[in-house]
Formats: sequence, structure tokens, C-alpha cells
Amino acid sequence: MFNISGLFGKSPFAPLQSHMKKVALCMEKLVSVFEILPDSEMDKIERLVIELSKLEHEADLTKNDIRNHLPKSLFLPIDRAHFLEILSVQDSIADKAEEVGILLTLRPLEKFGNFQKEIQAFFAKNIDVFLNAKRIIEEIDELLESAFGGIEAEKVKTMVEQTAYLEYEAQKMQQKLLKQLFTQGETLSTPAFYMWMRLVEEVGTMSHLSERLANRIRMLLELK
Amino acid sequence: MEVETVFTILVLCVGFYMAWNIGANDVSNAMGTSVGSGALTLKGAVVLAAILEFSGAFFVGSNVSETMQRGLIDTDMFMTEPIVLIVGMCSALLGTSLWLQIASYFGWPVSTTHAIVGAILGFGGMVGGMEAIQWGETLWILLSWVISPFFSAIISFLVFTILQRKILYAMNPSEATKKLMPLLVFIVFSTFTLSLIFNGLQNLHISFTFGEAVLVALLVGLITGAITYFIMRRVRLPELESHPPSRYTPQTVVSLDKAMKHLQRVQVASFDETHAKVSALLDEVKQLSQKLRQETSFSERTSEYRSVEKMFVYLQILSACFVAFAHGANDVANAIGPVAAVLDIIKNGVVSEFAPIPPWLLAFGGVGIVIGLSTWGWRVIETIGKKITELTPTRGFCAEFGAATTILIASKLGLPISTTHCLVGAVLGIGLARGMRALNLSMLRDIALSWIITIPSSAAMSIILFYIFKAIFIGS
Repeated sequence: MFNISGLFGKSPFAPLQSHMKKVALCMEKLVSVFEILPDSEMDKIERLVIELSKLEHEADLTKNDIRNHLPKSLFLPIDRAHFLEILSVQDSIADKAEEVGILLTLRPLEKFGNFQKEIQAFFAKNIDVFLNAKRIIEEIDELLESAFGGIEAEKVKTMVEQTAYLEYEAQKMQQKLLKQLFTQGETLSTPAFYMWMRLVEEVGTMSHLSERLANRIRMLLELK
Repeated sequence: MEVETVFTILVLCVGFYMAWNIGANDVSNAMGTSVGSGALTLKGAVVLAAILEFSGAFFVGSNVSETMQRGLIDTDMFMTEPIVLIVGMCSALLGTSLWLQIASYFGWPVSTTHAIVGAILGFGGMVGGMEAIQWGETLWILLSWVISPFFSAIISFLVFTILQRKILYAMNPSEATKKLMPLLVFIVFSTFTLSLIFNGLQNLHISFTFGEAVLVALLVGLITGAITYFIMRRVRLPELESHPPSRYTPQTVVSLDKAMKHLQRVQVASFDETHAKVSALLDEVKQLSQKLRQETSFSERTSEYRSVEKMFVYLQILSACFVAFAHGANDVANAIGPVAAVLDIIKNGVVSEFAPIPPWLLAFGGVGIVIGLSTWGWRVIETIGKKITELTPTRGFCAEFGAATTILIASKLGLPISTTHCLVGAVLGIGLARGMRALNLSMLRDIALSWIITIPSSAAMSIILFYIFKAIFIGS
């Protein structure tokens, strides 16, 4: 017969969150790459990065799956284009993690003062920004519950502001690192210099993307 | 055996089968959402539905049944040969049952209401010609099919928007719920009582004028609202107990944030001494805001939505009962309207000018629905309940209130409409108010198909059966 159960489509927000989990797995893998970085054992690093690539591929598959199965109906609580934008920014974080990993397999990092330590701290800050963005995505359930308004929206707004602040701090660190690289980098060979530079820039992009993701969610809120 | 006896038995059996069918399939719409959101257990849902379906059918069912009996076709046309009307109504009922059986076998979206209306119109138009159909009334009914989903969509949209503004978007959702709950209970009970007692209790020989009915309804609403108010005052919210109660509300924090925003503007636009002063002020306000945020345990308050939903569970049970009542009132006519017409002719031997639906027949239809519900309907309720978990109690309440109000108004006007379509419209209304995640709009196509397919098919079915019966019982 004819009843109202046919009315409900599958919500795309749960898949969005599971995609975020895959992205987070990529980031975790990258963290373990950075942990063994001081030992500079290239084959260990390479093995981890291959695993990282696999995880990134899985995230890609989830992303494509969501794109292919996004309900055609009009009634998503948010705009379709907006939803796809969130998905694509989220996925680009995983892409970036893979890029950083591959960069690290290209050649062993040369010693350069205490740069090793500082870039570890810089990386940790970027992971912080990412974790903040991840927490915001995890709030989507509650946001839907409150129809994107009220105290929940205020809470998410605060979280977004916090993410933005952390990203600002990360940018400061990046600036400092780059300056150090340019003032003291004359002792380095050209490939080593370029390697360090790329690493600083690529890692910095991760916090950049995380902040953008947070701001995309910010745009959904109905604030008074 | 006489032809009359044969038809009496036949029409009662088919009428009972129709009522069974309605109980088995359509009641699930009313209760499925409540079971799905965990507001009711399956057993509780079946018992409540049985009671309310029956009382809806018994007390308010007569209006629509009378429309079915003589509103669609001009029974005066059959004055001279009442047997034709008997055979016609029987074939309409049987045709509808057959058509529903076929449609549910193939999984087509059909509505009992549309099928029976189509069947009656079909045989009426075929036998009596175009002038036998009461076009005025028929057009009204057709129009109501289109209007009713929109109407319930508008009501549920409005109710949900109010809830959104007052509760979901509030800084202290559970406090706001406590305040709003008595008002909502008042509205639900007043509407419910008004529909029950105004023109509703003839079967018990109690009648009210409209003014009296409104007064009584308001009184009932006030009493239940007051009871709710006192219950709500006693409700303790278990959340946030780990924190000392704060003298500040989250609203204060938001206000402070606004002040900060304005100060920032001044800071950007000012120079020298003023700039320094404003910067100092701003720092101070920032610190204050952070302190207040911690004190009001700002970020932990989002767990309040869970307690809001918990409170709304009770309201949703209420609205589900409302839908079950309205459904009984409207859909019992599909089964017993034609039966009433046939029995009336058989009893009096002529097509009478005015024959009220006998109360026992309404009860008969009600019992049929209840048996259908208890033998088969609970399965459908269970299935739907599992499928619809997206409908949280706040949303479920709005959808059910919108649909039930529409159905009851239609029942009062004697218009047979589809309960399912009203509910679909109501859920879409909530979707429009940004309350729903992903809605499957193919349902709208199914509704339109149901309008287009069902009427001609069941009409054809009843015409064929009419000629078969005529050949058997009346001769050429």
C-alpha cells in the first residue's frame, strides 16, 4: 500500500562524517611518519607513506560515493553546492597529507640547526587546527537537531573562531620558519634548501584547509 | 435465498473487508512515527490506535459516510429501481477491494479514499449518465484532494517555525520548552475537543451549539494546559548538575559578544587616546566574556536538545493519537458509506430522502479497523517505525499536528481525503522549514499518480462488476 515511509531519503551527513574519519586516519598516519622522521630510516618512512596513500585512496572512494549518491531531491537542509564544497575541502586535507608524506620519501632530510625540532612543533600546531575542524564536523548531528540555530550554533561559532585563531598562530610559526630558512640557509645545498621550503609550505597548507573547512560550516549557521 | 439477503451479507462482508484493509495498512501512518522515534512501544501504539481509531469512527465518522452515501451521486435518479443502486454500491465496494488488492500486489501507490470515490462515480456515471453525478460536491472533493496536502504542509510549517524560533534557536532550549509546553497542550486539546463535541456526539444524544462547543473546548484546553504547567514546573533537568547553578544565562554571553563586536568597530575607527581606551575596554570585555562562558557552562548546554526531545516525546504521543482519531473519522466512511446506502434501501424498500448512518454501522466499521490493526497492521507499524527514525519528536509532533488538523477539518466538512497525502504534505512542510535532512521527493510523483491512476481504474472495475451482477441478479 501507500505509506509515508517512502518519503525519507538517505541523509548525506552520516557519510560526510565517515569521510571525515577516513581523512583523520590519513592524518594519523602522517603523524606516525613525523614521529620516525628524526631516525631518517627511509624504507620505514616509505612503508608508512604507502599505507598513507592507500588510506587517501579510500577517502577518495568514499568521496566519490557520496557525490554519486547525493539525493537529487530539493530538501537537503543545506544547499547542494555548499555540501559538495564542504566535502571537497575536507577531501583536499587528505590529499595534502598524502603530498607531505610523498615529499618526505623523496630524499632524507638534511640536518639544519634545530630546524627538525621546530618543524615538528609547527606540524603539531597544524594537526591541532585539523582536530578542531574535525570536532566541528562531528557537531553536525547536533546542528541538524537544532536546525542550525540556537545555542548549538553559538557553540559551533566559538569553535570556528578558535580554529581560526589556531590557524593564525600556525601562520606566525610558518613565517618565522621561512625567515630562518632564508637568513641561515646558505650552508644548505640547493635540493636540501628547496626540500625544507616545500615541507614548510605544504604542512602550512593543512591548517589553511582546515580553517577553510571550519568556515564553510560557519556559513551554514543561522545566527541572530 | 432472496436477493436482498444475499446482498446484505455480501455488502457487510465486503464492507468489513474494506475496514480491515484500512486498519491493516493506513493506521501505520499515524503510529509509525511515534514507534520510530521511540515515543511508544509497539504494544502501546496498537492499543492507543485501536481506542482512538474506534472513537474517531464512531463519533465523527458519520459526516464523511453521508457524503459517500449520497453526496457523490444523485440517489434520486434511482428512486424507481432501488435494486440498481444496491447492485451499484455493492460493485463499487467490491471493485475497490479488488483494485486495492491488485495495486498492493504490484506495489502501486493507491489510496483507499480515491479508489472508493472513483468506484462510486464510475458506476453512477455509467448507469445514470453524467447528470447522475453531483458535480458540485464531486468538484469540492477533487479540489480538497489537491488542497489538503498543501494545507497540512502550511500548518506543520508554521508550527515548526514557531518551535524553531522559540525552542530550537533559543539559548536555553529546555527552559523554553517548559514554558511553551502548556500552550502547545492547550492548542492540541482545544482542537481535539472542539472536533469531538461539535456535531460529534449525536450518537450519544448530546449536542452543543458552536458557541458552547468552543467554550467547552477552551475549558478542556485550559485545564490540560494548567496541569501541564504544574507538571513542567516539577520537571528537573538532570543535565548540568555537575556545575554550580549560574546566575547568568547564555543569553548574557551572547549580548556581551555583541557589545564586543561594536567595540571592535569603534576600535578600528578611532585614533590616539580613544583608540587606546577602547582597546583596554575591549580586553576587559573579552576577559569578562570568557569568564561568563565558563560560568554558564556555555558549550555543554547543547546536550539540552536531548532533554527537549525527551519532553516532546509526550506531545508526540498526543499528536499521534490525534492523527489516529482523525483517521478513524475520515476513513471509516470508505468502508461503510456504501454499506449504509445499501442497507438503508433494503430496510425501507425505497431510496429514502434522508437516512442517518446508524451508530451500530459506525461501530461495525470501527471494529473492522481495529481487527485489521491487530491482525496485520502492527507489522506495518513496526516496519515503518524502523524506517522513519529521522523524524525526531519535535518534528514528528509538527507533522502529525498539521495532518490531523487538516483531516479533522475535512471530516467535519464531509470531505473524504487521503490521510497519507496529508502526512506527506506535513512532512514536506517541515522539510521546507529546514527541519528535515533528506526528503525523497519522488513521493510527490506517487501522489499525483495516485490521483490519475486510481480513479479511472477503480471506476472501470466497479462498472464491470456492476454489469456482471446485473446479469446475474436482475436479468437484462
